[in-house]
This record gives sequence, C-alpha cells and structure tokens, in this order.
Amino acid sequence: MVAVRFHGRGGQGAKTASRILGTAAFMSGYVAQDCPIYGAERRGAPVAAFTRFGREPIRERGAIAHPDVIVVADATLLDDVAARVLEGADDRTVLFVNTSLSTEALRAHVPIPLQVTARDVTGIALQQLGQREAISALLGAVAARLVGLDWESLRSAIGRELEDLGLPEPVIQRNLTVAKQCYETVEPAPLHKGQGWTAGTTSIHSPAYEPPTKGTARISAAGNSVLRETGGWRTFRPVLIADKCNGCWLCFAYCPDGVIAMNRDDRPVVDYAHCKGCQICIHECPTHALVAEREQEGGVAWTAK
Amino acid sequence: MDSQMMTGNLAAAWGARLADVDYIPAFPITPQTEIVEALAKWCERGELAARFVSMDSEHSMMTAAGAAEVTGARVFTATSSQGLLHAFEVLYAISGWRAPLVLVNVSRALAAPITLEADHNDVLAARDAGFLQIHAETCQEVLDSILMAYRIAEDERVMLPVIVNLDGFTLSFTREPVSLPDPDTVRRFLPPFRPSHLGFTASSPHALGVAVIGGTPYAYFKHQMHLAARNALEVHRETADSFQALFGRRYDVVEGYRLEEAEDVLVMTNAGASQGKAAVDAARAQGKRVGLLRLRMIRPWPADAIRQALRGRRAVAVMDQNVAPGQGGILYREVAACLYHEAARPGALCSFIGGLGGQHLSEGMFHAIFEQTAEAGVAGRGCGPVLLYSAEEHREMTQLQMVAGTVGRDGR
Amino acid sequence: MTWQRETFKKIKQIPREEHVLPGTALCAGCGGLEALRLAAKVLGDHVVYVNAAGCFTMLAAYPYTSFKGSWLYTTMGSAPAGAQGIRDALDILIAKGRLPQGEDVKVVVLGGDGSTYDMALSATSGAMNRRLDFYYICYDNEAYGNTGMQLSPATPYAARTATSPCGLQHPAGTAQEKKDLFEIWRAHRPPYIATVAPRYPLDLEEKFARAAAFTGPKMFLALAACPTGWLYDPGTTPEVARMAVETGLWPLKEAINGVVTHTYIPKRKPVEAYLRLQGRFQHLFEPTVQTDAIRHIQERVDAYWEQAMQEQA
Repeated sequence: MVAVRFHGRGGQGAKTASRILGTAAFMSGYVAQDCPIYGAERRGAPVAAFTRFGREPIRERGAIAHPDVIVVADATLLDDVAARVLEGADDRTVLFVNTSLSTEALRAHVPIPLQVTARDVTGIALQQLGQREAISALLGAVAARLVGLDWESLRSAIGRELEDLGLPEPVIQRNLTVAKQCYETVEPAPLHKGQGWTAGTTSIHSPAYEPPTKGTARISAAGNSVLRETGGWRTFRPVLIADKCNGCWLCFAYCPDGVIAMNRDDRPVVDYAHCKGCQICIHECPTHALVAEREQEGGVAWTAK
Repeated sequence: MDSQMMTGNLAAAWGARLADVDYIPAFPITPQTEIVEALAKWCERGELAARFVSMDSEHSMMTAAGAAEVTGARVFTATSSQGLLHAFEVLYAISGWRAPLVLVNVSRALAAPITLEADHNDVLAARDAGFLQIHAETCQEVLDSILMAYRIAEDERVMLPVIVNLDGFTLSFTREPVSLPDPDTVRRFLPPFRPSHLGFTASSPHALGVAVIGGTPYAYFKHQMHLAARNALEVHRETADSFQALFGRRYDVVEGYRLEEAEDVLVMTNAGASQGKAAVDAARAQGKRVGLLRLRMIRPWPADAIRQALRGRRAVAVMDQNVAPGQGGILYREVAACLYHEAARPGALCSFIGGLGGQHLSEGMFHAIFEQTAEAGVAGRGCGPVLLYSAEEHREMTQLQMVAGTVGRDGR
Repeated sequence: MTWQRETFKKIKQIPREEHVLPGTALCAGCGGLEALRLAAKVLGDHVVYVNAAGCFTMLAAYPYTSFKGSWLYTTMGSAPAGAQGIRDALDILIAKGRLPQGEDVKVVVLGGDGSTYDMALSATSGAMNRRLDFYYICYDNEAYGNTGMQLSPATPYAARTATSPCGLQHPAGTAQEKKDLFEIWRAHRPPYIATVAPRYPLDLEEKFARAAAFTGPKMFLALAACPTGWLYDPGTTPEVARMAVETGLWPLKEAINGVVTHTYIPKRKPVEAYLRLQGRFQHLFEPTVQTDAIRHIQERVDAYWEQAMQEQA
C-alpha cells in the first residue's frame, strides 16, 4: 500500500488533490481510498488530506500516521506546529514541498533527513492561471508522478474531480495544461510502501478528576488568540510605501482581523505575525501606498505557540 | 414538623422554594404545569425571592436555565416528556458547562401516539446526557430529593446538573401527606450557592462551552464528566447522612424492601415501586420469599449497591416501565451488565415490561411476575422481555380497533 | 430628513483599541469579522458574547479565545435564550447584593443568518417579546456558511449555493426571495434595530453608540460579505459590501421604536454592478446573460426604494 499525506491551507486544494490522486489510482486499477480531515478549518488554516492505494484491500482508516509521501502545498506549513507536517516521517519518507526555494535550500530547512523535492507550483500557477489559490490539480499531478501513476489516468481523474466541483470546461482545460507541466517536472520516487512500521503497546494514562475550572472546556486567559499566529496564511504581504501614505486610516478601519495599528504619525503598522494576507488594505488604500509582495519562505516568524 | 396533604407537583415546587432558588425559567407541559404555576404564584407574592420567566420553548428554557446557572444563580426548572426531548441537545450542552442546576421531570410517555400518562422512556432517554438522575417514589421523596440534589450538584467534586424524576399522574397529581422541612434547618443542610469559578463579570472574563478541535481535549473533558458523576455516589452518601441527621429521613442510592432471606427479587423504580412493595407483602403472606429493590439513583449507576443487593438470589426480575424497541427494557440491560462480574450472580434474570403510557399494573400482574420469576429461578434460566398485558386488555383493545375500523366485526 | 451622525463624524474617531484580537481561525477577508471588530470597539470588553453555532464559533476554540470579554457557546437555536438566562442572573445577583454593579456586563448574542433567520427565530421573538436588555448581532452572509454555503432563508434570489445549484430546472439559482428579517424584528417593536455594513464604519459605529441609550433588545443585522461563499477575491470584501449598499440591495437603516429611517440614501447603481463581482451570481452572466432574472432583482430593489422614500417623506 502507498500512503500519501497532503498538507495545505484551507482553500489551496489539498482535499481535491487527495481525491485526484485517489481517482487516478482507482482508474489505474488499484484499490484506493481518500479522505480529508474535516473540522473547523477555514480558508488559510492548516488542513490535511489522505490518499491510500494498493493491490490488497485497505484496512486502514482516517489520518495517515506513517506516510510514504508527504505533499506540502505551502512551505510555511513546515514551521507551523499545528500543521504537524513531518509527523511520522523518517529518512524513507518522500517529501514534496511547493516552494520557491531550491531543493537544496529546502533540505537545509527540514530537520529530518527525508527525500526532499521542491518545486514552485504557486509560481507556475500564478504564471499560467493567474490565481493565488486552488492548486489542487497541480499538487495532484505532482503526487501522481511521485507515486508512479501514468498521465492518462491522472488526466481523467483531474477532469472528473474538477468537473465535480462545477468548474467550467475552459478552466479545467487550463488546469490540465499546467498539471501536465507539473507532472513532468518531477520523477517517480523510490517508495517504501508502508513497510516496516511496528507499533509498541500504548501506555494508558487515564486522567484523574480535576476541579471544574480545569476540567471544563473553559478559557480563562482572555484574548489569548494572539498566541496563535496566522501570518503563514499569506501568499502576499501588504507593504507600505511610506511617502505615498496620506494617513487616512482606511486600512485600519477595514482590516477584519485588526492587525493594522496607526502609529503617532498616522502611518499603518502591520502585525505580520497575524496578517492573513486578505489584501483588503491594498485594495482600499486610496493612494496605493500599500502594495502586495509575494511571500518568500523563511522571511516570516511562524511559531504557533 | 409541619405535615400537609400535597401533590407530587406541589412537593416539587416546595423543594425549589425551600432550596431558595434565584431563577426559574418555565414552560408549561402536562403533567408538570402545576409546579411552575405554584412557583409563579409564590414569586409574585414575594414568598420566594426568585425571578420567574415564561420562556418560548423547553429548548429556550433549558438554555436560559443553564446560562443563568453558570452566571452564578441557583436555578430550578421543570418539564416532562416531549418537553424534555425538545430540550435534548441543551441537556448535553449545560452538563458540558458543568451547570449544577436541578430539573424536575414529570414522567410521561412519548409520542407517537401522543398520550399524557406516565412511563419512563422520557427520562431514561436522557440517561446519558451528563445529568445525574434521582427517581422518587413518594411526594415526600420528591421534595427531599430536590434539596439533596442541589447539595450534590453544587459539590465541587460533582458540579453536574441533576434530574429529579416523578411519575406523571400517579405522583404528580396524587396528594399524600408531606412533611415540610423547616427553612432554617434547610439552610444548614444546603449552604448558599456561591460558586467561585462561575459567573460572567467585568473583572474576570472567561469563555465557557468553547469548541474543541480534535479528540484529545474532547475525550478529556467528557471523561471528567464521567468521573464527576462517579464522585456523586460518595457525595450522595454524605448528603444522605447529613439529611438523616437533620430531618430524620434516610435515602440511599437504592432501597431494599424485605430483602432479608428473599429468594427472588423484583427490581423497580419510581411510584410503581409502592405497588411492587404491596405485591411483595401479599406474596410474603403466602409464604413466598420475595423482596423488592428500588433503584433511586439511576445516574450515576449504583452498580456496587445493586450487586450487593442481588448477589446470591435465586432469581431477579427487572420491571421496566419503558421499552427500547428492538432491545427490550432499558434497566434490565443495565442491571444485567453490572451483575456479569458478580461471582454469586442470580441464577436467572427476567425482564418484564409494563405500565407503558400509564397502563395499570394490577395485583395479578405482580403475581404473574413472581410466578414466572420463581420458575425461571428453578430452571436456572431467565425469561423475557415479557410484556405485561392481560387477556382483558387484549379484548378491550380489539373493541377499540373495531370502533376505529381497523378490525372487522369478526375480530379479524 | 437627513440622518446625522452625532458621535462618529470622522474616521479618526474610530477607537484604536482592539477588542477582538487576531489569531482567529476565520477566513481571510471575512466581512462578518470586520463588522464584529468595529462593533466591539463601541461595546468594549465588559461584554459576554452568547454564541449560536456558526462561523463565529471558531472565535473561541480551546485553548484560545479572541475576546477580552466573556463568551458562552450555546446551541444553534437558543442563543437569545442563553442571553436571557445570563441577563436575568446578572440582574438577580446585583439585586441581591451578590455582585457589585460595577461587575455588570453587556449581553451580546452572535448568530449567523442560518441561526438567526431559521432555527433561532422563535427564541429571538421570545427574547424581544420579553423586552430582554441585550444586543443581537446577526452576521448575515446569506447562506449556511460554516457548513459550506447551503441555502438559508437569507439567501437572495438567484444566488447559487451548494443546495440551490443552477440547472435546467433552476437556471437562475434559487427562486426564493430573501426573508425580510428587519421587518419581522420590527413587528416586535424593539427599541432599536439597525442594518449595518462594515464598509460604512462610521454608520456602523454611530448605530452601536446610539443603541447604547436604549434598554431592551438592540438588534443588528450586519452584512457579512463572504469571499469563501460568495466566490470573490478576499481583498474585495469592502468593495462587494459597498456595491451591496450603492445598488440599494442592502439598505442602511435603523428603526427606533418601530420608526424607520434610512441612514444612507444611495444613488443606486444598477444591480449588475454588485452581482458581477461574485461567483455565486456568475451564472446570470455566463454563458448567456439571464436578463429576466437580473431585471427581477432590479425591479424588487426599485420597488423597495420607491416605497421607502414615500414612507420617509
């Protein structure tokens, strides 16, 4: 059995990518299974999806604990503790990351000696599709190539899954063209195929009774959401061209997340640890003093505390 | 002590009054309505320093009750049957908030077909909602149980809401003498509600009932509720000791009736247990060695007390005034489960279902129960579920079907 | 009569302090969060938010809360009843001397349109009828958003949702008209009702400031432009909201003790200017333009404003 785990941010298409891979494997004659982790994920929040396929009936369910391949839609997830991208990985795991960094630069960034591949899928998408999200077909294509599925099955799978999402034919065709390009940019990887994992016996620790303050779903630390940084959601960051700013406060007024503060000179100060990159401030700035700059990985602090 | 004739419903209202509750969100439903009518009257006259609010549904009523409780008020409310089920999701919500309020449920069978009289499918549907459950046999016990319920609920080791159950009609509308505890003594028994950890105030904000993501926190918090409910067994014992010392009446989690040297034991709950006790007396008079075990606390499940009462018996019959379609009696299953690991477990365990929708339990039915149970004990093999339904009832039913036009004059 | 703002005359009067802190799990560009953030600047921190199931549930997800004030998650259908319990308990505790007056908090219900227009309508009606002293903020993104954009009674005519797809039977999306919640609320005669759109922050702030003078239900219907569900780029949330107002589709108004005043009279751009911005209306323009459906929407807006202007005159 081959187990592929996709990590993305809500809206990037990790779930659809896992379905494309599942359908492609199914159409290639394998037994296949795919599922997302559903929950409270919003556009931008870390999400995961899973595809398994093989020749034998699949007896596993749910999250993949020991993936053969990890496909990461957004390099910022690597440093996001909540995303748990590298969980269960070891030196036999194949890691693919969508990043503008080179494979060598990425390898230096990854703590475990995985088999690392880096490609700038977002760059390809921005260039070819002109959209800043929804790279599901491209991620699915990369994953299918890494696990050695053929292009014809993949092509049908992309067509089916995107059609299922209600995308118009011309959009599907554009996605197919770019997906082919992504498919050809990587090589099939040597896979360990889920062998060799042995589980020890879990040591059971049943919790003891705690007073209701502690033992109830209750938060006493008011306003502690700031401990959770959402800057990693951005594809683009707002950057101020100070001499163009007329100090009008509109960016401050319209920011949904309240991450723009006005300083004493009436200039906006962006809290990049939390700015989600919605670009409202950029759109609404009457003097175009705020501009969008593509995020470069490594430039932002990412710790979810 | 002052004793007077009152219905189970009025006794319930007195329980709330003596507990000096702060807040009563209410919604009418037969056969509970008398309780909130009495409370509304007392609040209006200033005899009870509580705010009474007529809500728009039981769903809203339970939400308001739980929300007021976690704001720091002592809350009482009451419902029945359809109302309990209409509030069902809220029961889980407020037990999850650990809101230690008291809810009286006046048992009434569930629609469809809609009816007004009692059985226990309503209250037992809520058995896993995180509420503790105390089921009362007499009007006096209704009142006393409400006082005990507040003390147990508000204990730091528990901090869970409690349902006190009484049967519709046979208790709710039935008058019998009830001794009213002295209010000053009640205040000694039940200290004022001053929870340190509850309340939404300007200076100590907190978020309650928040979402959790993933099973790790969920399992933890849910398991805490389980531990809290288990703690209630010990807290109930302490509360019963204290209650007995102050008021002279004793309530344990189960009540044994003529269990000494009983070969066969009938297990019952609620008001019907009075009839069961009479049947035991009648059978004993005929030389049959039978007894009765009344389950008073249903949540937490008093497994040890049940095991202790039933070990070594020849046969045990569980009388369920409820039916789980496709399974049988709800309590039978729970009694069976807690006897499994008992080395001296009864030789036979029998399941009887009767009293559905207020169906009359006749003396003859109890005779039938004791006979079948004795036979099962001799044979060493349990029986049931047996629906207690007489040939007479069967004839009556056929008559009704003829009138309804669903059975021909020839009875077919 | 022109409506005059008294407290919030210029943008720099918007309080600098934030009361809904970042780090939330809500979508980038959430119009509902924009509205809540601005509202909270007037409401302050001495607040308990009573939440109904919806997108805002994620604002307090263990172990994080975005609020400096308090929060209680209730159910989808009973947040106003939760507000009732809290308000009553606070009043009781203050009256009995168990809580100092200075510890009192405002009670604010948060509900999406799914909860507000559907399941919680009875509980809201009850709370209004009991003259409960509370705020209600409905963040209206015109669909069940937290479950992935299904039809709600707030969904406007011709919008495509996951459960009102476009097909041969319904080429123009849903045939239902948006439920007129403002008028349903108004029939209860609460002291204050307002519609707001966060693209008009001074209008919004002013209305929350005005509402504070009233005891009883203070009801707010906030336009929550939704990039995820309405299918537009998150950066254009304010522009979408602006077009909703400028086309007249989202009237900015208030009702004080039932008397309605429109707080902003738009010049009324053609509705296409709003519809074209959003993927949920794309089928009205591609592959062919559905002129009948668009005309229908235009006629409804025209009729609304004709009547509104007559009444106001």
